[in-house]
Amino acid sequence: MSFDHGMLVGFAKSYGLFYLLGLSVAVLIYTYWPSNRARFDRAAKSVLNDEDGPWQ
Amino acid sequence: MVAGLTKGERQLALLISIAVAFIGLAMAGAGQGGAFGVHGFIVMAFGIGTIFVVISGYFLPEPGDERLAQYYDDPIKFGIVVSMVWAVFGMFIGDWVAWLLAYPEMTFDAGWASFGRLRPVHTTAVIFGFVGNALIATSFQVVQRTSRARLPDQLSPWFVLIGYNLFCVIAVSGYFMGLTQSKEYAEPEWYADLWLVVVWVVYFLLYLRTLMRRREPHIYVANWYYLAFILVVAILHIVNNLAVPISFGHAKSYSAFSGVQDAMTQWWYGHNAVAFFLTAGFLAMLYYYLPKRAGRPIYSYRMSIVGFWGITFFYMWVGSHHLHYTALPLWVQNLGMTFSLMLLVPSWIAAANALLTLNGAWHKVRTDATLRFMMVAAVF
Amino acid sequence: MFNTHYRLERHSIRFVLAVMVVASIGGLVEIAPLFTIDETVEAAPDMRVYTPLELAGRNIYIREGCYACHSQMIRTLRDDVERYGPYSLAVESKYDHPMLWGSKRTGPDLARLGGKYSDEWHVAHLIAPRDLVPESVMPNYGWLMRSELDTQDLGLHLRAMRKVGVPYSDAMIENATADAIGQASPDKDAAEGVAERYGEATTIRSFDGDPRRVTEMDALVAYLQILGRLTDAAHVQSGAGRMEAGE
Repeated sequence: MSFDHGMLVGFAKSYGLFYLLGLSVAVLIYTYWPSNRARFDRAAKSVLNDEDGPWQ
Repeated sequence: MVAGLTKGERQLALLISIAVAFIGLAMAGAGQGGAFGVHGFIVMAFGIGTIFVVISGYFLPEPGDERLAQYYDDPIKFGIVVSMVWAVFGMFIGDWVAWLLAYPEMTFDAGWASFGRLRPVHTTAVIFGFVGNALIATSFQVVQRTSRARLPDQLSPWFVLIGYNLFCVIAVSGYFMGLTQSKEYAEPEWYADLWLVVVWVVYFLLYLRTLMRRREPHIYVANWYYLAFILVVAILHIVNNLAVPISFGHAKSYSAFSGVQDAMTQWWYGHNAVAFFLTAGFLAMLYYYLPKRAGRPIYSYRMSIVGFWGITFFYMWVGSHHLHYTALPLWVQNLGMTFSLMLLVPSWIAAANALLTLNGAWHKVRTDATLRFMMVAAVF
Repeated sequence: MFNTHYRLERHSIRFVLAVMVVASIGGLVEIAPLFTIDETVEAAPDMRVYTPLELAGRNIYIREGCYACHSQMIRTLRDDVERYGPYSLAVESKYDHPMLWGSKRTGPDLARLGGKYSDEWHVAHLIAPRDLVPESVMPNYGWLMRSELDTQDLGLHLRAMRKVGVPYSDAMIENATADAIGQASPDKDAAEGVAERYGEATTIRSFDGDPRRVTEMDALVAYLQILGRLTDAAHVQSGAGRMEAGE
């Protein structure tokens, strides 16, 4: 199978758009999925806990 | 420095130093007095220097197991100090170069002092010396604290920092001698590039090993940015620096790409070196130090995730906006420009997130100089 | 499905892969098609390669960081075209490893510098730029006149260039050193070989005005005089364009 310029450009222009949309949707869904809220809140606060040192 | 290493690590450090010294010797021999040979001597001196450092501390008592109860912060202090040294040097050269534009005769009738050779000294010293060291050092601090895990060993952080600075020294000293690939922000020649790959792989593995040791279920978002910085810089560096040296005894190499492909590859690199050094790396710092200093969690953790994927994805497309109206095909120019505009969204997300985090802590901004600097940085 | 992403960030390695994939797409989509180009780089059958002397001069241009202030890319802007000539085509930097399009235009664009000024002008200008262009901020390069050109390794240079795709012949590689000296020494026998291998149109003369020595000045001026003259493609295309427009 040979790639020619037109084909690659066409691929970039068509599939590229759907990839962009798909990625955005996936990221948004993941980010706003309700059950993830607790984990994110915990993570956001985690840096504030005073460090007691690494686990051993 | 050496006191923190275990016996085995001291031996390994000695072996590495000896190997580096021998590589330097081989380069000096092959270079036969040319610029490549000078670099050989610099590498050899570097290796011998570290041999002495290791030997002088070789018989110190070994650190006990109590060290494991603390984060390993010695290399971080070293990295920050070195970073400041590079900052002073790089900005001095920057000032000097600026004066050259007013007084172009100030070159002592010699090549090394002309604008063309000094400009990359300034850019490299600031971007790689100052910023690079700061990023590596802070990444060690942040990854340990957000993972609640100590760095997995004591030798590799030293190897990464010292090896990285050897790369910077080779790069900068090369420009004075006229050694350059002429690719902006990727000027060092092939052997310096190869060495940086070695250092970077060790850095990446060190980072990953620390993350894998973490007790937290979730990887904190600052680490995402640091990882993206490490990974993407590796991809960019390897692809853009593909070149064929004229021989293994010469510094000169010819880029694997030519003309329009070379231009696109170069600006794909050039723009994203800026993106993932100066943006992703600093956002990583922001997402850790700002909440920490303000004493408040990040305004929206979710926004930081959206911003992360936005930046990682969009940034890689925008390099072609450096090539408007050139012989680059128009569709690539358009694509780059479109994505540059879209990039406004994640950039503003990050800035807004930082400023909103300060809501409720503005009284601290009034009195806390550090926080004030962070606020101004976020605005910019 | 959302657990997939959860696992992904739980497991650092998968996260690493995700970043790599997401980050690579932009580069792949923009760069890969440029290598499959029939349309991106025009055909130019008359295009010749750099002679060893010109290549040595090009390497001096790189070494001194000339690209930091001088671009070699005439854009498709009216101002550029009227000042410098027909806009640059991709094919014109086909043999440029690396390209020197530049990024900062402190000095004038040099893409069509070749033949615009005499050798004497270039030499005088490189020695003392402000004698000829009072407002210039270019450094003085008088010391190039004192540096003997290193021609010994030019064969290695040509061989490396061939490895990355520039069509140098075995004879060119073999005679690289002699050709470099010959091109700057019109009275020597070596000069004949240059015309034979690189074409009759190749300029053979002492570029720095001193035929006894081959200096770095010779090489740099030889390079500056070939800029934009490896092929006529840009002039041909701009001529054709004008005819279509009915001028």
